[in-house]
Amino acid sequence: METELWLTRIFNDNLAGLGNSLLSLVGMPGQPRPWANFITMQILVVAFLVIVFAILRGRLSYDRPGKLQHIFELIYEFVHGQTEDQMGHSGGKYMTYFATIFIFILFCNLIGLIPGFEAPTMNPSVPAGCAILTFLYYNGVGIRANGALKYAAHFAGPVWWLAPLMIPIEIVSHLARPLSLTIRLYANMFAGEKLTMVFLSLTYLFVPAAFMGLHFFVALLQAYIFMLLTMIYVGGATAHDH
Amino acid sequence: MTKKMILLVMILLVASPMLFAQSADVAAQTKAYAAIGGGIAMAIASGLCGLGQGRAVAGATEAMARNPGAIGAIRIMLILGLVLIESLALYTLVIVLIK
Repeated sequence: METELWLTRIFNDNLAGLGNSLLSLVGMPGQPRPWANFITMQILVVAFLVIVFAILRGRLSYDRPGKLQHIFELIYEFVHGQTEDQMGHSGGKYMTYFATIFIFILFCNLIGLIPGFEAPTMNPSVPAGCAILTFLYYNGVGIRANGALKYAAHFAGPVWWLAPLMIPIEIVSHLARPLSLTIRLYANMFAGEKLTMVFLSLTYLFVPAAFMGLHFFVALLQAYIFMLLTMIYVGGATAHDH
Repeated sequence: MTKKMILLVMILLVASPMLFAQSADVAAQTKAYAAIGGGIAMAIASGLCGLGQGRAVAGATEAMARNPGAIGAIRIMLILGLVLIESLALYTLVIVLIK
């Protein structure tokens, strides 16, 4: 059912050997056309972002900032403002991860709107990867900020005699977090694309364009929500310090 | 009025094996039931999600009208709440799509 994009076809025709050797690194058997759509789209997004940031780095200036610098200062101020809202002034050291995950998911979602490309977040593996990474990150940050024993102790809740009730509830809700992050992002992107396709097959011009506009808005919103929830989780994990 | 609707739904559910009996294999029946079940599940999920989001927006707009100084904070809470409620309907959609 999955048709190949032109970029994936280029990858599969020329770099199939590389793909199969990467697959064999993790123990999976080789396949005739190893590159999948979402992998090549992710590589494209990452390459694009690296090039944009490299250009930005060369043009940073204190006295006469250019347009690119203004755009990225806006993004930085936005992420910084949200971090301060959620986590107070001590959130600055976690901002790298928040901004990275925000910009990556934002561009992954937006690339799906361009005709020859497909959003890698449409495949369930990509949101699952981001969610598992966020889960490991906020637990790791919580353990580093509070120490492993105190971090485990905050699962017990506010009063010690509620602990046998609180601990299973807390564990289940913590495990449900990466699941809900994954499904939220995946279902929004997948459903948006399917809706646009369905309406494109039913009618023409204005109605599919309206749904595509809705999909654009939802793409922005879902990237922002992923970042906001990550901040809330990290804020909750590092809470006892401050 | 609701009693008649419940009666109608019950008759439809009971009669559907006979309606679908033309395709004699079990796989087609299962797929037909899955489609009907999926439609009902999605309808219930979307309806309740709509009600929940309506209440969220109502509460948020009233709070913004009472306290124009807190509009920024209320807006953040509103967006977060709407997305979390929306994701509940989307979980149902994922289950429907899997089967």
